[in-house]
Amino acid sequence: MEANQVEAFRSLSDPTRLAVFERLVAGPVSVADLARELPVSRPAVSQHLKVLKRAGLVFDRAQGTRRLYQLNPAGIDELRRYFDRFWDSALASFKRTAEGNQEGT
Amino acid sequence: MTMVELAAFAPVRKSVTVKTNVERAFRVFTAGFDTWWPRTHHIGKSPMTKAIIEPVAGGRCYSAQQDGTDCQWGTVMAWEPPHRLVIAWQITPEWGFEPDLAKASEVEIRFTPEPDGATRVDLEHRHFERMGQGGASMRTSVDGGMGWGDLLRLFAGEAAK
Repeated sequence: MEANQVEAFRSLSDPTRLAVFERLVAGPVSVADLARELPVSRPAVSQHLKVLKRAGLVFDRAQGTRRLYQLNPAGIDELRRYFDRFWDSALASFKRTAEGNQEGT
Repeated sequence: MTMVELAAFAPVRKSVTVKTNVERAFRVFTAGFDTWWPRTHHIGKSPMTKAIIEPVAGGRCYSAQQDGTDCQWGTVMAWEPPHRLVIAWQITPEWGFEPDLAKASEVEIRFTPEPDGATRVDLEHRHFERMGQGGASMRTSVDGGMGWGDLLRLFAGEAAK
């Protein structure tokens, strides 16, 4: 899971790839439509999707003769779950300390 | 907003009620940062000796390391004792320091008095979408940093104490 989280973030560090990712937020889309909507060639779109797929952020499925790409909610959720757990632990530690010995404060 | 949009970069929101007054809660959080911040959470190469939040807008959030270096991990964006603190979270996914504030996520902490003398502490960590922008952040990464999985396991251990 650790490697996936780093890879997921790393995969979004390219501005064009981030634009592809953000377009997918709006809903499933084919490579052809992505290339039409964004200032990116079809081969470049395919390459970006490949990276996003490997990072677990998107997946594809067949719809007739074409393939549709869409966001993988589980992959994105992993990123947020990291911070979710992080802050749970940090705040639990803060609460213990803040409620500790309060004599003379 | 679609369900996936909500999930993708939605802020993390946490709330905890602390049995102490709001001034003390703010003080423990900031001046007393070193007394509760987990010792393992820093981006330095040697162990952390002290965790510091400089008590002023624009102040640095950093850890002092055993090898004598300081490792900054954030910047105070709003300093409003005893009710509000906003910190830019400047750690890259590769566990390095991100000097460009436009690429940093943000943590807002609010301290609100409760009727029984306790304090509700609300934390919001937001703007994760900024962290993926640009390739420059990857080049500032510190080598040999702790992986996120390791950090997770350490925090799980900390919370269990």
